[in-house]
Amino acid sequence: MSPLIEARELSKRYGKHLALDRATFTIESGRIVGLIGPNGAGKTSALRSLLGLTDYQGHLRVLGREPLRERTALMRDACFIADVAVLPGWLRVDQAIDFVAGVHPKFRRERAMALLEKTQIRGEQRMRQLSKGMKTQVHLALTMAIDARLFVLDEPTLGLDLLARRSFYDALVNDYMDETRTILITTHQVEEVENLLTDVLFIDKGRIVLDCSLDDVARRYAAVAVSGTALEAAREMRPFYERRTLGKTVLYYENPDVDRLRQFGEVLTPSVSDLFVAKLAGVPS
Amino acid sequence: MNNTSWLIRREFWENRAIWLVPSVIGGLLLLGAVFGHLQFGGDIFSPDGPGGGVPALVSQFALSGVVTSMFLVIMSVYSGWYLLDCLHADRKDRSILFWKSLPISDTETVLVKLLLGLIVIPLVYFAIADVTILTMSLALSLRTGAWASSGLWHPTLWLQTQAFWLYTIVTLAVWYLPVAGWLMLISACATRAVILWSVLPPLVIFIGERWMFGTYYFGRELLDRLGAGYVHHAFDLTQSGPGWKTAVIHDHDGDNTITYPQNLWHLLDPVGFFGSAATLIGAAIGIVLVVAAIQLRSRRAEL
Repeated sequence: MSPLIEARELSKRYGKHLALDRATFTIESGRIVGLIGPNGAGKTSALRSLLGLTDYQGHLRVLGREPLRERTALMRDACFIADVAVLPGWLRVDQAIDFVAGVHPKFRRERAMALLEKTQIRGEQRMRQLSKGMKTQVHLALTMAIDARLFVLDEPTLGLDLLARRSFYDALVNDYMDETRTILITTHQVEEVENLLTDVLFIDKGRIVLDCSLDDVARRYAAVAVSGTALEAAREMRPFYERRTLGKTVLYYENPDVDRLRQFGEVLTPSVSDLFVAKLAGVPS
Repeated sequence: MNNTSWLIRREFWENRAIWLVPSVIGGLLLLGAVFGHLQFGGDIFSPDGPGGGVPALVSQFALSGVVTSMFLVIMSVYSGWYLLDCLHADRKDRSILFWKSLPISDTETVLVKLLLGLIVIPLVYFAIADVTILTMSLALSLRTGAWASSGLWHPTLWLQTQAFWLYTIVTLAVWYLPVAGWLMLISACATRAVILWSVLPPLVIFIGERWMFGTYYFGRELLDRLGAGYVHHAFDLTQSGPGWKTAVIHDHDGDNTITYPQNLWHLLDPVGFFGSAATLIGAAIGIVLVVAAIQLRSRRAEL
């Protein structure tokens, strides 16, 4: 089976600035993938290309379609929330439901209503009357009621408080995700999503710097905290990053000899956020 | 088709001014007809009234003409603004990212907005103008006690005026297609100051032509397109031939002779209009501009 998303040498240029620089990656069905990178790394450009919102260079297929040329057809099987505050202020909640129900063949009204019933939101309210958190709830209810195979979220919790963020991700994982769906999330706040993800794509300066599943992270990467005289010996095993913490130094390795590593201390699998920092910071001189 | 009806509904949700503005104007006119000061009593259009001798067609068309033209003038200002704003507003408030997440093509979106600006909004104004005219006529008839003989109540004439205005709306839509296409193109590409961008390029061309060649062709064509050109192309104003009559009207200052058509069909010139180069070239330019607006729309997201 061909992958759900296939990008080869994907580039996007804004004038002199190269937002995406020959990025190559694939995303398989049934995964929750985090596209993670610092601000300005090219995350949004990548998503805009995948969703057919902008032109690009290179080869790109999403659900077997060419996004820019076939956006309309693509949007029957893919949906996205590109930022929380994009529902227009004049739109009423019930109008939004009517409209999506009217134009989307895979929208299930009962499901949207059931999701909204759990909230304080009423149908006759206009988006401009709702708080940011409530607007997100509406948008999420509208989108989760669509039987889509791919759900793309671009910085979905930007500007939300902690409670709203937590309930956003809870709803996503508990009410939505199953093996027929694929979720792609971009964020620069790694800690928020790392427990959800099955795969990570790290992007920096328009390039993909890491593309692997979390299972592979555990197989490929290891960290060990070392102190005192062992440090020099541990350094000889060529860590790609090190970080000082509480009198110890944590060293990060790619494909290490784990048995040898154990002599320096307990070998840990780095968290996604640690790996992110390690990968992007590179080897300190 | 299903998408189209939802897209039209959405425009009405977003732009409530489409029906609010003409409703308020109609309401004010009606108030004037009900409570305003009347300079005449009795049946002004009866043979011995102050408007005696005015043919029914003329009296009927006078009210319809004044009121409906007023509505259509206000409509064209609103509609122009609507077209200039329609592909820009949702980029500005970023709601384009929501609309584009739905399976609706950019072609459908742009064409529905064009349809709104050129046909739907004019029809709304026209319908409200019609209601206004009928209720005004009723109020005036009741107040002057001229119910039966008034020239305001002639079903066949009423139907004639309806056909006349529908012809006007269709020909206006074709004539103003290039203007609408231009406004939508600016709306689709400008990041801000849409009014300025819509005016500036024509002004530059006008000044450039004058400066380089000392001629005014562009300016003349533009004025013709925006102003009197339409009336000359769409209507037959020769006021002669077998279809035309004259009537003598008794007025305060004596008798006046007027020329008027036997029926309103004599005013229309569909063959001349749809056969004229100005109409066809204008429509072709309009189509090119609309296609360009669709292309831009499909490549642009928020500002």
